[in-house]
Amino acid sequence: MVTVNAQAGRLVLRSSGVILFLLLWELAPRLEWLDPYFVPPLSVVIGEAGTLLREGSLPIHLLVSVWRAIVGLLVAMAIGLPLGFLLASRFQQLAEAIDPMLRVLSQVNPFTLLPVFMLFFGIGETAKVAVVAWVSVWPILFYGMTAAREVDPVQIKSAASMGIGSTDMLLKVILPGALPTTFVGIRIAASLTFYILVAAEMLGAGAGLGWLVHNAAMNYLIPRIYAGAACIVVLGFVLNRFLLWLERVLFVWREEISILPGEAAVAVSPWRPGRYAARALVGGVLAVLLFGGIEVQRINREAAEPGGGHSHHFGTPVDSGGSSF
Amino acid sequence: MGTSKDIPKQITTDAKIVVKDINRIFHLKKSKTEPARDFIALQDINLEVKKGEFLVLVGPSGCGKSTLLDILAGLAHPTSGVVYIDGKRVTGPALDRGIVLQGYALFPWRTVRQNVEFGLEIKKVPKGERKGISDHFIKLVGLDGFADRFPHELSGGMKQRVAIARALAYDPEVLLMDEPFAAVDAQTRESLQDELLRIWEETRKTIIFVTHSIEEAAFLGDRVAVLTANPGTLREIVKIDLPRPRHNSDIRSSAQFGWIRHKIWELLQNSPHEPKVHPQSLPVADAISPTAAL
Repeated sequence: MVTVNAQAGRLVLRSSGVILFLLLWELAPRLEWLDPYFVPPLSVVIGEAGTLLREGSLPIHLLVSVWRAIVGLLVAMAIGLPLGFLLASRFQQLAEAIDPMLRVLSQVNPFTLLPVFMLFFGIGETAKVAVVAWVSVWPILFYGMTAAREVDPVQIKSAASMGIGSTDMLLKVILPGALPTTFVGIRIAASLTFYILVAAEMLGAGAGLGWLVHNAAMNYLIPRIYAGAACIVVLGFVLNRFLLWLERVLFVWREEISILPGEAAVAVSPWRPGRYAARALVGGVLAVLLFGGIEVQRINREAAEPGGGHSHHFGTPVDSGGSSF
Repeated sequence: MGTSKDIPKQITTDAKIVVKDINRIFHLKKSKTEPARDFIALQDINLEVKKGEFLVLVGPSGCGKSTLLDILAGLAHPTSGVVYIDGKRVTGPALDRGIVLQGYALFPWRTVRQNVEFGLEIKKVPKGERKGISDHFIKLVGLDGFADRFPHELSGGMKQRVAIARALAYDPEVLLMDEPFAAVDAQTRESLQDELLRIWEETRKTIIFVTHSIEEAAFLGDRVAVLTANPGTLREIVKIDLPRPRHNSDIRSSAQFGWIRHKIWELLQNSPHEPKVHPQSLPVADAISPTAAL
């Protein structure tokens, strides 16, 4: 009972800041501390989100944004992971030679590249995915290289003593040993992806959460701006929590080192990811890729048709454009 | 590097392992401008090990005993000289030699069973056969019931048992052990030594065991090769004629054991290359290593 109470107390404490903020959001406009036209109360924003949900446009925007983020991240992983591991484990000299160049390239602002990507890939999805991939490939690459270099030499030595081949060494020793640190890079990449994607969608898109906010702003649908922004926050939070959870589940074999005093005694959760969990995860990602892909294709096709609205106008295919005022 | 032309690839011998005229010289540089200084890690090492023998290499830090073990494992190459196993020249690592290192060197992402099966995977043993083999060796080192645990859930002594099981699982004929029990507490070490002797008597592997503990050397070995540092040379090989089996016995407190221990200690003290130091002025622990004075 004591532990349950302590846990509940901790939960209340940790959520009190958020609750206070939400309360203020509701009260400040209602009490006219803030102009309710510019800052609508929380309940109005939630109502607006509800309207978007009922109309069916919010799920589509969500799906499209998540699809772009996942595709961009997958592309970045497909490039960054093998490149990082190979450079760090097999081509050390090459890695040293091109490291400064990579560091410089990683500093290139993705938005300055957007026009270039549009020249190469057109104005369709590829340019947006390319921007997302550009941003997220760097943390994956750099963390991957560092991780592969820092695999315990004793583990490498003991594998080498068995006359292990270089492919097996890479796949069975370096890759699993480097994965936890690399995953930190993937997590950083995922949150960067989301920042950059929302911005890219504001610059040129026909759907997505960034477009939703941008479109609402262009049409002075102020509650809708807040509703879209809140959705982005919630999605970002959920994504981050999910990746943290995934990290804990995937790397259950790591020694749990607690930095908070008094928590050292908390045992490692006995649950281990079964095949079922792995399949559910892969299935979820595939479902988003499939349905998101279909949706993105439909949006781009409709946008390309003559008479299809410019993204800043009312009445675009996926949005009724109606106001809830 | 010795040219491979004048060194025969194969020799005929009764010995399991033949170490011939091994030299290992490191070129050390303290700074970029300073000319390289040669450090002789091993000088003219000659050694023969019989099949099924338990040979211990003992010596102070820096005497090259770990370097010699790396050369035997094929992980390092001698500057000159050659190692033969079963009359065949060693050119690199292979599964005919198993190695157990001081750090546990277990793969933390693999369970105990998966760790033990690692060498079998490298050896391309079919999946169906692996389980039976890993079961056998997990049981042999006394870890049945822990097969599905991860290394971080085990104590230091248990981890080292896993490392031994992993090295034995792919059935090498020679087991090379580099200070395997140095990181565990004294009591665990004694029980691991007992376990190792039991396993050795069950499997009849040829074992070369590196340690800096005189007591460990005297307790385990058929023979103890005493190495001295600077340069690393083989000073003498001491035959240990204590009765076997020695495990689960009180042999450590016998007079004979004390005498052997003293003899090895003396050999380590009177190193011909070091300036003579009066025994009383230098604690034994400092002369050899902090953990040697047991």
